[in-house]
Amino acid sequence: MNQKFDRVAGIAFLLVGILFFIESQKISDSAYGSSVGPKIFPMGLGIILTALSIRLLYETFKYKTEDTAKEKLQYKKFFIIFGSALLYAFFLEKVGYIISTFLFLLIAFQTLERGKIIYSIIISTAFSFGIYYMFSELLGGSLPGFPLS
Amino acid sequence: MDTLQFLADGFAIAFQWHNILFALIGVIIGTAVGVLPGIGPMSGVALLIPVTATITSGMPTGAAAASSIILLAGVYYGAMYGGSTTSILLNTPGESSSVVTTLDGYQMAQQGRAGAALAISAIGSFVAGIISLIGLVLLAEPLSNIAIKFGPAEYFSLMLLGLAAVSGLAGKSMTKAIMMTVFGLMLGTIGIDAVSGIARFTYDQPILFSGLEFLTIAVGLFALGEVVKTVLEKDEETGSIAKINRILPTKQDMKDSAVPIVRGSLMGFFIGVLPGAGATLASFFSYTTEKKLSKNPEKFGKGHIAGVAGPESANNAASGGAMIPLLTLGIPGSGTTAILMGALIMYNIQPGPLLFDEHPEVAWGLIASMFIGNLMLLVLNMPLVRVFAKIIQTPKKYLLPMIIAISFFGVYAVQYTTFDLYLLLGCGALGYLLSKNDYPVAPLVLALVLGPMIENNMRRALTISNGDFSIFVTKPLSLIFIVAAAAWLLVPLLLKLKGRKIIINEED
Repeated sequence: MNQKFDRVAGIAFLLVGILFFIESQKISDSAYGSSVGPKIFPMGLGIILTALSIRLLYETFKYKTEDTAKEKLQYKKFFIIFGSALLYAFFLEKVGYIISTFLFLLIAFQTLERGKIIYSIIISTAFSFGIYYMFSELLGGSLPGFPLS
Repeated sequence: MDTLQFLADGFAIAFQWHNILFALIGVIIGTAVGVLPGIGPMSGVALLIPVTATITSGMPTGAAAASSIILLAGVYYGAMYGGSTTSILLNTPGESSSVVTTLDGYQMAQQGRAGAALAISAIGSFVAGIISLIGLVLLAEPLSNIAIKFGPAEYFSLMLLGLAAVSGLAGKSMTKAIMMTVFGLMLGTIGIDAVSGIARFTYDQPILFSGLEFLTIAVGLFALGEVVKTVLEKDEETGSIAKINRILPTKQDMKDSAVPIVRGSLMGFFIGVLPGAGATLASFFSYTTEKKLSKNPEKFGKGHIAGVAGPESANNAASGGAMIPLLTLGIPGSGTTAILMGALIMYNIQPGPLLFDEHPEVAWGLIASMFIGNLMLLVLNMPLVRVFAKIIQTPKKYLLPMIIAISFFGVYAVQYTTFDLYLLLGCGALGYLLSKNDYPVAPLVLALVLGPMIENNMRRALTISNGDFSIFVTKPLSLIFIVAAAAWLLVPLLLKLKGRKIIINEED
């Protein structure tokens, strides 16, 4: 168990619980024909989550952290891929599905493993064109096409 | 004879050519999903929802829902077949439900009996699929007839029981599991309240009015969470694949595994019906039972065929059994069935007792298609097992980015907003962090699906009782459900206090 993570998560969920409770007070309670309005359920959830978070924080003080061997995480690859996925989401509607998907796949393939660039290009092209034409032409769905069309 | 008539109608639907095709695609993709370590049935089903939604977009709602659910359920039980392949050939289970299969399955492969092990698990899965379907057919009608008499108070308590069961069995820490459940319920309250029409937690953002899309969250948490994990933690290279020599099992193999298959199927089915306990638990129980009942238990772990036949039948039967609470009560018992339910709700079809009256084509079409799908799996798996084994070798380099791209496509094609794409990525990162630190995400998804229904039933019940909360404990059935829910959470806690080790259910 990761004590540090559990504490941070405990505090985060505690805040979520309290915020949820406070914000639920702003929901108007009027519901004609019913004595139970839209407020009660979220309010109750806020209280329960607050209580559970306190319980979790209490638990983190009870157990000792086991020293787990630090795994080496590949942060660099992860952030490149996650960042390019964010850009992919941002540009999807702006430059169209085919171009953005092609670029995203190419970057991601090459990030995970350098080399064999020809294969990467072929697969990215086939995937982006394939999905686009299958979906928009054959199935009649709608995806953002090229920017100038 | 009513049931037979309905079943016949179901077959008429399942035998429509496009539905046969859908079942076939479903089971093939399911097998692939099962074989690929990293993508479980849950992410597989979640990823395919948008695809099926688009394919069926031209059809009338009922038929579209029937076709989609046929495909998606095919992925679910197909994955149970496929999961065994990697366990036997590589000693790496493709699904958590196939973990015990590695014990004897890999040993058999080492002795050159890989083909027999694969064949017996396919046969066992087929028998189990059929047995659990017969159970489903027999139980569906009577159960939904009981459930139809439930009022809002009973429903509320029953759903509470469902959530308690899943939280009680998921993960290592119950506190964390319940926290996830409550968090899921909270996320479900975002949007316009269905009863009063008041916007809650939307902060005037129009995009939030319809609530957070369940599909986006499920795909993000499961599929992308898995991708993030694989990118961050480089897996060790997988070992060499065992050779498959002869596929057909010998007569002795068949004789040794006949009883375990039947026993595993029955046990798996009943465990599957229980909420919270899924295929993983079923396969585990089956293995220990076979070992206990066997005349020579020392053979287990050294390549005994009963150790493959029993668990593999059990996990497949459990996936059939899990359909019962989903279809008859409208309450999913596991993460994967929660996603199937979400898919039905997307088509405006509410699973539950009324499903059999209002949309018999969906309920019976699905049941009938599962007969066909199981047959297809048997026919496909025997000769094609070598082909499926090849899928394991798909390089991760190409697989992972494509999973991201498919989830993007899927979410965007259904939602048409970039907001959901950002939400998807956020859930991916969150899903990894949470499951890495033993915060189970399956209860979250389940709660997100059940949340609005729980709240509405609670409010309806309270409206009937004029705000008196005692309605939940004065109605006898409702009281039973609440006591059961409390017991589900308290008993493991008490056992833990006594220092007993409890079996937990990994996500499946």
